[in-house]
Amino acid sequence: MGHVARLLEEAGVATVVVAVRAFERRLGAMSLPRVVLTPHLMGRPLGAPGDSARQRSTLLAALRLFERATEPGAVVAMPGAYRPLRP
Amino acid sequence: MTEDTGAGESFAAFKDSFSYGSRTDLTFKFLKRLSPEDAARFLQELLGRLGDTCDDGRAERLVDHVCEWQRRAYAETEGPGGSSWTYADGPFTPLKTPVAASRLVLLASSGHFLDGDDPRPFGVADMTQDEAVARIADFLKIEPVLSAIPLDAPRERLRVRHGGYDIRGAEADPNVVFPLERLRELHQDGVVGELAPAAYSFVGACAQTLLLRHAGPAWVARLRAQGADAAVLVPV
Repeated sequence: MGHVARLLEEAGVATVVVAVRAFERRLGAMSLPRVVLTPHLMGRPLGAPGDSARQRSTLLAALRLFERATEPGAVVAMPGAYRPLRP
Repeated sequence: MTEDTGAGESFAAFKDSFSYGSRTDLTFKFLKRLSPEDAARFLQELLGRLGDTCDDGRAERLVDHVCEWQRRAYAETEGPGGSSWTYADGPFTPLKTPVAASRLVLLASSGHFLDGDDPRPFGVADMTQDEAVARIADFLKIEPVLSAIPLDAPRERLRVRHGGYDIRGAEADPNVVFPLERLRELHQDGVVGELAPAAYSFVGACAQTLLLRHAGPAWVARLRAQGADAAVLVPV
């Protein structure tokens, strides 16, 4: 996905990448403009199934980065932890 | 007491078997990236925490343990499933208008597609997740196919298949990695100005050079044609 982010940025489309923090080094090596790292389980970067509040707050963190980042390399770490919803 | 000196399975082979081996479990494929010593530590601590959970039922400590060791296993960019792509700097496009006045597009490497629009990898109809996992080495050699998913697609019509990650969470709720419903809500709430008519997904386990040199540039043209000012990208 890092390649796609770079291509889009080159073409004038702003990007933000939302990924689990397990990918921090890999994404960091690609010098991406905006990255939100989440403390979530791999395969669930936005949050746990059914946890719409967490998914929304993760997206809001990403959207805020569009307006706050004034130079490349903006990385934000989401606080909290991955918490499956109890049945 | 006697020790088993037969040709039993080594611990290294055991831990590696969770990554496209006899015990494949993509949530735990990271074990292959760990040294035998670290993998043993992960398992010992997991069992210790499990013992505590047997008494108090607090499973959060198990979830935290798995998340933390996934992070540690991927802390190095090299290694199985790692990447050698490194850039000293990169392009940067500022968002020219506030998000509330911009058009966003969603693109995830999650392997989602719409029911009835199966990309049919390798020409195979109705490929199952297990078949995709079994053919991961083949996926890594081919150019990815972009699936367009209409903005108003109901959850029931979404399908997911990706041999590179554990899709159980995505099957239970696509928004864990393809947050189309959450973006629609943010648009309805006025947080996002507009959404592109379609969202997109592809299988991120693919030939990276073909993605960079061929598929990627074509996708950029498609997204720009939708008038996208900004893209939310979700890798898995």
